[in-house]
Amino acid sequence: MEAFSFGSYYPGDSAIHRLDPRTKLLLGFVFLITTLTVSGFRGLAPVAIFVVLIYAVSRVPARRALSSMAPLLAIVAVVAVLNLFTDQSGRILWQLGFLQISEGSLHSAVFMTCRLTLMMAGMSAITLTTPTLDLTAGFERLLAPFARVGLPAHELGMIMGIALRFMPQFATEMKQTADAQASRGARVTGGPLGGVRMLGSMAIPLFTGVFRHAETLSAAMDARCYHGEQGRTRLHALAFGRGDALAAVVTALLLICVIVINLQLV
Amino acid sequence: MIECRGVSFSYDGAVPALDGVDLNIEDGEFFCILGGNGSGKSTFVKHLNALLQPDAGTVCVNGMDASDPELVYDIRSTAGMVFQNPDDQLVATLVEDDVAFGPENLGVESAQIAQRVREALKAVGLVGFERHETHALSGGQKQRVALAGVLAMEPRVLILDEASSMLDPRGHKGLMKACRALHDRGMTIVMITHFMEEASEADRVAVFRAGRVAMLGTPEEILTRADELAQLNLDMPASCCLGMELRAKGVPVHAQVREVDMVAEIAQTYAERSGAGTVGQSSAPQSEIVGGTVSASNEDDVPEPVIELSHVSYSYSLSARERRRWRKRSAVADKSNKQALWGNDPSSPWALRDVSLTVRRGEFLGLAGHTGSGKSTLVQHLNGLIRPQEGSVRALGLDLSNKKDAAAVKAKVGVVFQYPERQLFAETVAQDVAFGPHNLGLPQDEVDRRVESSLSRVGLDLSTVGDKSPFELSGGQQRRVAFAGVLAMEPEVLVLDEPMAGLDPAARRDFLELIDRLHRDGLTVVMVSHSMDDLANCCDRIVVMNEGAVFAEGTPEQVFAHADELKSIGLGVPAAQRMALALAEAGVPLRRGGLYTVESLADELADLLIGRSDGSSNVSDKAKSETVTREEGC
Repeated sequence: MEAFSFGSYYPGDSAIHRLDPRTKLLLGFVFLITTLTVSGFRGLAPVAIFVVLIYAVSRVPARRALSSMAPLLAIVAVVAVLNLFTDQSGRILWQLGFLQISEGSLHSAVFMTCRLTLMMAGMSAITLTTPTLDLTAGFERLLAPFARVGLPAHELGMIMGIALRFMPQFATEMKQTADAQASRGARVTGGPLGGVRMLGSMAIPLFTGVFRHAETLSAAMDARCYHGEQGRTRLHALAFGRGDALAAVVTALLLICVIVINLQLV
Repeated sequence: MIECRGVSFSYDGAVPALDGVDLNIEDGEFFCILGGNGSGKSTFVKHLNALLQPDAGTVCVNGMDASDPELVYDIRSTAGMVFQNPDDQLVATLVEDDVAFGPENLGVESAQIAQRVREALKAVGLVGFERHETHALSGGQKQRVALAGVLAMEPRVLILDEASSMLDPRGHKGLMKACRALHDRGMTIVMITHFMEEASEADRVAVFRAGRVAMLGTPEEILTRADELAQLNLDMPASCCLGMELRAKGVPVHAQVREVDMVAEIAQTYAERSGAGTVGQSSAPQSEIVGGTVSASNEDDVPEPVIELSHVSYSYSLSARERRRWRKRSAVADKSNKQALWGNDPSSPWALRDVSLTVRRGEFLGLAGHTGSGKSTLVQHLNGLIRPQEGSVRALGLDLSNKKDAAAVKAKVGVVFQYPERQLFAETVAQDVAFGPHNLGLPQDEVDRRVESSLSRVGLDLSTVGDKSPFELSGGQQRRVAFAGVLAMEPEVLVLDEPMAGLDPAARRDFLELIDRLHRDGLTVVMVSHSMDDLANCCDRIVVMNEGAVFAEGTPEQVFAHADELKSIGLGVPAAQRMALALAEAGVPLRRGGLYTVESLADELADLLIGRSDGSSNVSDKAKSETVTREEGC
């Protein structure tokens, strides 16, 4: 039960940690686009250097970074396999019935693997160095301009923050309920009827739990004077600093490098 | 500070939750509110910070009318509130963000918020936890974060709504310490509690019943009124019980609400009497209570073991390879310095370390230890929910490392988890209780028989509650239904994880009786509890867990003889034993040794102070002997 950890925030005080979450989100977006425009292995080189640089500056241990990426790598594997069997071109290396692997598909599978892994590494650098609440605050502020057209930016941010806060709580409670029902002989593998019964015996306690939490949480938030966005200040007011400017410059450099390589100017 | 005039409130417009409450709470007062479940305590304190508005009457906080919508946020920041469940009231993922939530809502400037967060965390002793994740904290730490979150709003009044009821003894102590320090600095404290020892520390106590203030006064005035308290479903503190018992035996002492005072008064009485030479046979040399009578258990007729754990270790975080490495290292370390590796290592990845334990047929085994000591992991090993990573578990002759056998054992070892009522799910009580038997694949008539008999075993009647939704029932009844759901599996061993958590004193007593009756009917019972008094009263044998290992094991007499060692791991001893030890320290030569109950301690003290007390000295007052009969319940 104690082993559950949601979100992958790695506490630290590096230059990357100190960046404004809005910077990280915006530059992360730019990074994604940049990586998507890369058209060959040569273009991946500056991206790889960029990612290594980020991790070096953030001082997140390699092991921690890899373990937070591990679940995402499953997606990478699926995409790679799909590419391996679909994107055919060039000499055929292996064939079995309608399945075949060609030079072109092998190339594209390896390329996609590298590109996606770098993308994931870049994005998880953001979640590793940013507490979830800061991320939601960043989202909230980035969405703020849309509030004028009726988008409830603050509420969305709050909802996201609370959802993230309660995720581990619900995981723990689900485990407890599953244990309790299993002690009463419930089995997941009990035929369709047993399965439905098990589902009900799990879902209903979980839902009543959610309502119970919601009721007290709203009272607790009321008791601490929560009344929406109006007049609210922040412990860590978001403010762009020199680090943010530097980060923007470095990311712009990356973008230029990739464009130059794509256009075969070097 | 707080003035309430004729406050009435009803949730549904029909049944009054509060019925004309008049109460004044002074500035700087430590005010305690007692009362059974459903007596209106929580409803009342929600009026003090404008979470609820009275239907009739007025509430005034620091001169502000609580019904004025303009003042709502001024009132809520003046009267801060800590709720019961530590998991429900933290909003943020990180500690400092959560503490900052209140001041952020109040629009305090960033620099000043940082300052307030620092001070608030300092006040609750959590400096250095700023960047910790809230969900990874212990219950006691979470509750102190919640307290810091309130303090950061700089309140004048602190309201605690059963804030300590879900904590283990260590968390409980930490929270009380923080509150007392705040009170010493002038904070007004309003505290709802079920713990009489907490109430005895207060300046004034109010007892609620059916939405009214039934009693109001100093702890000395209130907590010594045994008969009335019993009618209100409350207990007296153990020290009062002792005092009353001694008075009934003719010893001229007063029932003191605080243990220290009670001990001091008895010690003084003893000193006076021994000086005057009027004490009974007290000239015998003072003997150590510690390690007193240890009755070696009779090896001949030890019942057969039903569950045997041998050398069980379990880790949530280590992989199989890492575990091997640990073991190798520990093997090396064993030769040089075992303590360094197996000692108090907070970063230890082991939830259980080399635990060997036997549960014998028909016994009542107690499990003690604070949160994180490995009790819960141990409980899950008992019926094969977790299979040991190292070592073996045998239950009812079956080896639990075998998957098939583990499934068979689940039916025979029933586990009632903490807050079992949260696992209720079916449309009707009968269906919920039938869940287990159905899973066993029993025929319908057998299922029906089991539902009826298990409901009656927990004191419920199938014909009256069977068709009701479990969610309509009261909290105590829901817990009974959950008990019945486990009993319907007809287990041979019943494992209970904190079965009395969150109940008021009357319901606690009922459940203890219920469990005791089940044990007498032949069930083997394993009970996890934080209450040393409950363990001492019920158990044949107690196992104390610490840091994932068995710390002590033996009869209550043997285990509670080691008060100092228990204290060193954050556990206490039963109240009577605590007082006996304090008396021995104060120079009262107690000789009996072993484990004291309030009755046996009173008996010996009476002997000591007035000589043979039987018949001679206590005929004086009939009213007093009536009190004695009440005392049996304490």
